Amino acid sequence: MNEITKSRKRKKAKTIAKKVGLNTFFVALCFITLVPVIYCFGISFGAKNSLLSSDVNLLPKEWTIENYITLFSDSDIGTWFLNTLILAVSSVVISLAVAIPSAYAFSRMRFCFRKTILNFLIILNAFPAVLSMFAIYRLITNMGLNNTKFGLIIIYSGTMSIFCVWNLKGYFDTIPYEIEEAAEMDGASSFQIISRIVMPLAKPALSVTAVMVLIYVWNEYIFSTTFLTGSENFTLAAGLYSLQASETTGSWPVFFAASLVVSIPILVVFMSAQKNMVSGLSAGGVKE
Amino acid sequence: MAGKGKRKIISRFRPLFYTLPSFLLIGLIIVFPIGYTVYISFTNMSLSHMYEFQGIGFQNYYRALFVIDSGFWRSLFLTLLWTVINMALQLVIAYIVAVLLNSPNLQLKKLYKTLLMIPWALPGYVSILVWKNGIFNSQFGFLNKVLAAMGVGRIEVLSDDVSSFAACTVVNLWLALPFMIMIIDGALQSINKENFEAADLDGCNRLEKSVFVTIPLITPIIWPAVLITIFTTFKTFDVINLMTISPSPTGAHIETVIVYAYENAFITNNYGFSSAISVLIFLLIALVTIFSDSSFRIKKKGNPE
Repeated sequence: MNEITKSRKRKKAKTIAKKVGLNTFFVALCFITLVPVIYCFGISFGAKNSLLSSDVNLLPKEWTIENYITLFSDSDIGTWFLNTLILAVSSVVISLAVAIPSAYAFSRMRFCFRKTILNFLIILNAFPAVLSMFAIYRLITNMGLNNTKFGLIIIYSGTMSIFCVWNLKGYFDTIPYEIEEAAEMDGASSFQIISRIVMPLAKPALSVTAVMVLIYVWNEYIFSTTFLTGSENFTLAAGLYSLQASETTGSWPVFFAASLVVSIPILVVFMSAQKNMVSGLSAGGVKE
Repeated sequence: MAGKGKRKIISRFRPLFYTLPSFLLIGLIIVFPIGYTVYISFTNMSLSHMYEFQGIGFQNYYRALFVIDSGFWRSLFLTLLWTVINMALQLVIAYIVAVLLNSPNLQLKKLYKTLLMIPWALPGYVSILVWKNGIFNSQFGFLNKVLAAMGVGRIEVLSDDVSSFAACTVVNLWLALPFMIMIIDGALQSINKENFEAADLDGCNRLEKSVFVTIPLITPIIWPAVLITIFTTFKTFDVINLMTISPSPTGAHIETVIVYAYENAFITNNYGFSSAISVLIFLLIALVTIFSDSSFRIKKKGNPE
């Protein structure tokens, strides 16, 4: 009897030790992961001179919102936000409008070179977008679209179009064709079939594709910093990039305040979309 | 009869009608730039020959491939080193974290997982700039403050090749680990627990169970995601560009192939040479894509579905 309780106790102690160890590990891991974010947060709420003090503090001793006031009054961050929003929404609309009929055709219709084109698109997609930048720059300049929103919208929707076609095509493939056949029997036009039957059924894939384009545009910096000039045309990325302080100009605390402000909207979008992300992507999948 | 024929013609052109807008867009933004890049790669276009450039045959390719100090081979070697180191660390760390996340005794799993996903949700360029300016800054960076408190002098992490390579690896891991942890975590949850019971009966310890049971079971599940990550890592641009080159070079030279091509186009303005490198990278990636794709198909054909 005594022996049994003893071994039980030992077992219990062992589980508790395991629990404590595991939790310590994860608390430490989460803390280390979040150090840059916390430090950024701390600097953005600290006084200007606190950066140069030699003591190691993640959070400021005296809190102030003066950096945020400077950010909103001295920079064009409101305009940058609006520009980014316009670019993101327009790119989502154009890339979906172009990709939906195309993906539908690749999924439902049979035509020559269908498979070849699909595979060719994958290989084209392997060309890193950065390397096309010089050619695109020449193209956009010749079309007179340099430093315009429309130029960037075309670039963004074009860059994402192969992903959109493939992801939607993959999802359309999983929708049984019988439903559409039945509708056709009832005399529905192909436009009606797509808009009334396929679209509602493909909602998970459509929303995930839209979110992926939105996140891509929001997080894109190399085209926007290269193609946009003049603070009033900047996106959030180009704006934040320009806020980086040098030895003589700018203020680091304001830069860190801007970093947080820029990140929050996309953080919210990402966290709320994450649940559906897995179903809409793996079902669509970039594989046949 | 005539109506039927007309309909047949329409239905023949229907796919074209549906796909045309996407082909126009892809043609403009993806196919044209590739074609133009191939064209420029055979010319001597540069800042001094911006408009009166001329064809010079394969000279740019010759310079990239056979002139050893052109820097192409160095950058290719760096890229491979970068890819191997980053992938190895990523897989090992993500595996350990995911296995621990799935321990039966962990009640706060959801909370930890959410916190660990935060780096993935933040815009990449913001994170990189925050790491560069907040952690690695030589004056007020957190790393230097910690080092100073420990009595070690300040170091300029980003101006030295080895230390900036390490710093970029840390930042890249920080950005990439959440995705890999999520993938492995998902795979671990999908494997049947019965497999472990057999291993338990055989008296396997934790390490043996990992090596002989868990890893073989999750490998086919995570392989597509791993393959995509290998490509992304090979194509790394943002981390290295923002950490060591833009807006002003820090002095470190850890150009991966894509950064190298970018530098030749936008900093030293050797458009012809840069284009040749771009074409070489594209051929390399396309070949590996085709190869991995076909190996993928064979694997898939192997198991009946």
